[in-house]
Amino acid sequence: MKFPTEATLRRIIAFVAALGIGVATYITIADSGGGAPTCLAGGGGCETVANSSYSHIAGVNVAVFGILGYVLLLASAFVVSDLARFGGFAVALGGFGFSVYLTYLEIFKIEAICQWCVSSAVLMTILFLLNATRLIGYVGTAGAAVQGPLQPENT
Amino acid sequence: MSGKQDREQRRQERIDAESQVNTKDRRTRLLQLGAGAVFLVIVAVVVLIVASSSGSGSGGDAGNLKEVSAVDSLVSSVPQKEMVLGEANAPVTLYEYGDLQCPVCKEYSEEFLPGVIESQVDQGQAKIDFRNFTIIGPQSQPAGAAAIAAGKQGRGWNYLELFYRNQGEENSGYATDEFLTSVAEGAGVKDIAQWNKDRNSAKVKEEVKKTTAEAVKFGFTGTPSFAIRGPSTKGLELLGTPQTTGEFEEAINKAS
Repeated sequence: MKFPTEATLRRIIAFVAALGIGVATYITIADSGGGAPTCLAGGGGCETVANSSYSHIAGVNVAVFGILGYVLLLASAFVVSDLARFGGFAVALGGFGFSVYLTYLEIFKIEAICQWCVSSAVLMTILFLLNATRLIGYVGTAGAAVQGPLQPENT
Repeated sequence: MSGKQDREQRRQERIDAESQVNTKDRRTRLLQLGAGAVFLVIVAVVVLIVASSSGSGSGGDAGNLKEVSAVDSLVSSVPQKEMVLGEANAPVTLYEYGDLQCPVCKEYSEEFLPGVIESQVDQGQAKIDFRNFTIIGPQSQPAGAAAIAAGKQGRGWNYLELFYRNQGEENSGYATDEFLTSVAEGAGVKDIAQWNKDRNSAKVKEEVKKTTAEAVKFGFTGTPSFAIRGPSTKGLELLGTPQTTGEFEEAINKAS
């Protein structure tokens, strides 16, 4: 299996994480004014989701956790080390798991879909896949000094 | 000289080999750690989902009211006063004797009455007067009083409809003050302090008892039960429990 170079992965991770920061920041700002994010396709899904009891954890909007996660992921993309590779993977994994849970809540508990939340879930899924690829391909390597990924033993 | 070079080379090879083994070990350990983390997250997500689905999944959830906008669009175009929905001078009055905790009343409110509201109440032909017939359990009375109190602020039917759409399992204790207040807020009751005062007033509580006694006097045994009064009826006529929207429409047409 041919891996993209780590530099390419890092660039894409940085780009997607920046998009995520934008989406999560928008949701936080829209909610902080007492309102709700505006659904581009119309319908009251975003309002229903934002007004539900699930939109806050201990009084903090869940989107704030999203911003934090995306910022950490963006930072991890700028560092070449095993800590960054593993840290990025762990944050993306946590974010992905949380997104799965939130999407479950939207569909089955709140019974409304907010496209901003779905966008964030999609971005987090992409980041999880990218960071998993980065981890599998490059963890334990010396980074920039090594040209390609370590190949599995049986290939 | 060449012996020394050989030794140097062998030493370097050994260091390289060791470092490769170390790198491989480290890589294996980190990947195992990653796999462990994936497993943990899967477990955590499953636990979260199971925990939240075993909660109050079947309504009665004060923090998560459903269909606020659906209720709004159903009754917002029709005038209402106290617990009467429709034009005050509509010739026919349909009386509904119901209990907010009753699941069949919820079904009527969602399945049958919207058709009547759209076809006849909206047109000014009939109005619907909701009256409490509290037979399900102890929480039925405060729930009924809460609806009447919302009616004093012109949101009685919003309250009724929103309560039904978020109804929990009967007598499961979901109709707490928190739930009733949450429905009031969702129904658009503006002055919550006044609403609280009204729903706890002796007058409103008495009204709930009075209409319940009325229903018993009529011989009604279950909720919802209906009665009708119009220009073509001989006073108040009992309808019992019609089974379809069509039966309601027919009764209203006959009474007109």
